[in-house]
Amino acid sequence: MRIFDPHIHMTSRTTDDYEAMYAVGVRAIVEPAFWLGQPRTSVGSFVDYFDALIGWERFRAAQFGIKHHCTIALNPKEANDPRCAEVLDLLPRYLAKDGVVAVGEIGYDSMTPEEDHAFSAQLQLAIEHGLPALVHTPHRDKASGTQRTLDIVADSGLPAERVAVDHLNELTVRVVKESGSWMGFSVYPDTKMDETRMVAILKEYGTERVLVNSAADWGRSDPLKTHKTGLAMLEAGFAESDVDKVLWQNPVEFYGQSGRLILDDLAADAETFQGNSVLRGERA
Amino acid sequence: MTFHLGYGTNGFANHRLDDALAVIADLGYTGVALTLDHHHLDPFADDIGDQVDRVAARVDQLGLRVVIETGARYLLDSRRKHHPTLVSEDQERRIDFLVRAARIATDLGADCVSFWSGIGPAQTWPRLRDGVAELLDRTDNVLFGLEPEPGMLVETLDDALRLREELGRPDRLRITLDVGHCVAVEPVDAAECVRRAGDLLVNVQLDDMLPGVHEHLEFGDGALDLPATLAALDEIGYTGLAAVELPRHSHAAPDVAKRSIDALRAALPGSTVEHPWLLAAERSVRSTPDSIRRLFPAVGREVGRESDDVARTRLLVAYAAVVEADGLGQELTALYRYGDDGERRGVLHALGEVGELAPDAGVEIVKDALRTNDTSLVAAALGPFAADHLDQHAWRHGVLKCLFTSIPLAAVAGLDRRVDAELLRMVAAFADERRAAGRAVPDDAVDLLRSHS
Repeated sequence: MRIFDPHIHMTSRTTDDYEAMYAVGVRAIVEPAFWLGQPRTSVGSFVDYFDALIGWERFRAAQFGIKHHCTIALNPKEANDPRCAEVLDLLPRYLAKDGVVAVGEIGYDSMTPEEDHAFSAQLQLAIEHGLPALVHTPHRDKASGTQRTLDIVADSGLPAERVAVDHLNELTVRVVKESGSWMGFSVYPDTKMDETRMVAILKEYGTERVLVNSAADWGRSDPLKTHKTGLAMLEAGFAESDVDKVLWQNPVEFYGQSGRLILDDLAADAETFQGNSVLRGERA
Repeated sequence: MTFHLGYGTNGFANHRLDDALAVIADLGYTGVALTLDHHHLDPFADDIGDQVDRVAARVDQLGLRVVIETGARYLLDSRRKHHPTLVSEDQERRIDFLVRAARIATDLGADCVSFWSGIGPAQTWPRLRDGVAELLDRTDNVLFGLEPEPGMLVETLDDALRLREELGRPDRLRITLDVGHCVAVEPVDAAECVRRAGDLLVNVQLDDMLPGVHEHLEFGDGALDLPATLAALDEIGYTGLAAVELPRHSHAAPDVAKRSIDALRAALPGSTVEHPWLLAAERSVRSTPDSIRRLFPAVGREVGRESDDVARTRLLVAYAAVVEADGLGQELTALYRYGDDGERRGVLHALGEVGELAPDAGVEIVKDALRTNDTSLVAAALGPFAADHLDQHAWRHGVLKCLFTSIPLAAVAGLDRRVDAELLRMVAAFADERRAAGRAVPDDAVDLLRSHS
């Protein structure tokens, strides 16, 4: 089983997790920029975080044979903090980088005017940089938040197929499917979604435009949930090709719209990542 | 590229062998064609065993692949050039020398021993054939590359293949091909010779030549189609060493070796030199220098990640040519500061070309990279710029960090020039610490200590 986890916060995870992920078949990931458990108090704190996402975490993942990509954005919760809002001005610098495969996570937390502003502004950045958008849906008042999200996306001019709406559940999946956007599901140990419910949704709505992620972060979460969902799919009678579509082809297709996925030497890396790849041919 | 680029030590006849190896490695060659000679690993020296041991450590440490060449002019006879040869009546001395060379090749882990036939009339062919048979009998495991040489009994590839045929195609008898010789005397071009030699090719010598004239020339001074020749090596999947063979250029060896690797890089298959995006990007940087900020991050996806360092260096060279030194320093700092891992590595590599124009900024960038734990950045930081500009304390700690983080010391430019007693003490202490913990000492640490013992 080859797995592309389209949403996982590795900054908060250990090297044991990377090893376990590689062992079950995870070969590529996307780490969306989001909030940490501890609120940030300055733009500088974001800058260091973004720098880690385009450098250090990429290196850490590579040591375990995993291709690391990220999305960059001002997250909805901290969009409400005036000390952080100025980070919007710095985003274009990061959105030009290789391996930055979407603007995200953007969207709503508490549905405030500040969140409206940051969300709309960042959808425009996605258009300007030719990037898809990864949209977080609120945990509280999710159904109305999801509808409002879709309205804002429709108004933005960013095509629906370049948007993934994440953290969906039984009550929000239909409206997103009908909008033409991608449907993201975060499979958690006990909250957002579990693998049994996930399989039921796949049976009802099919595998098209579905993204399954672990969204593992600093909270109670499981970076192997993608793999467990794949196993649950097989057990429920899905073919291996269906599993590959959901866990590999779909994320590659969605984020591939950025033209920034770094999967070109995946096969070679899988062979040699533990070897000595530091010296890249001759010294320039 | 499937093969390794090297340089022949017979083109460094005025250098000590250790120094020649360092210069060759520092230029970015990854192999060396080592001609055994009276001043370079003399096989008749009393302490040849110790010498070989030391050189083995050196080439390991510099990351150089090795082939043994046996074309020294006055090693066996101080009055008669190349004498005796395999076609001479006293061929026994030549065979004895080649057997010694084979022993050295084994100890150095060399790919092969390369040799030629000698000048003689057609009737000496049977003697040559018997001599080669004896050579194969008296050695095990070592591969031999028979080199067709203009004016010698085995002059063309066909001659060499015929001799091999007559000996019953022994597996250990392969072919050395000098691509310049192909221009001079072969009926087909060098690329075609490469394809005809195919799997038998065990060693390649690179140089330019004019048809009918046996004179080794720098690339571009003769009629060799270098890109087509290198492409043919790639095409047949050649994985050995292709080493520059310019034995009459020793008087200016470092400069010639630099020009040669530049020419080779430009001619290599998949070279970035003519990439249309890169050419347009260079033009853009020359006319609107600030456009480098937009272009620098895009290099990987536009030109390809296997040649992004080279392409980014090209952009910075173009930039450096049109701005003042202050501006260059500021831009290097900003590109590094706001770069992702690939861009940062690109800046570090480019320091080797443009760093000396803005040394203060360059040193700060190198020091930042050495504080990271990203081994690709640490390795790139210790290139030629750091060799010339980093203070000794910071440089020593950089080298030690390489050993700690399993970065091969081949990454460290100028290691041989800058190594000092304090570094050796630090490395020895590091090795002691590893041993005390029951852990393996990295080979590079052992080699460094051995090569300076």
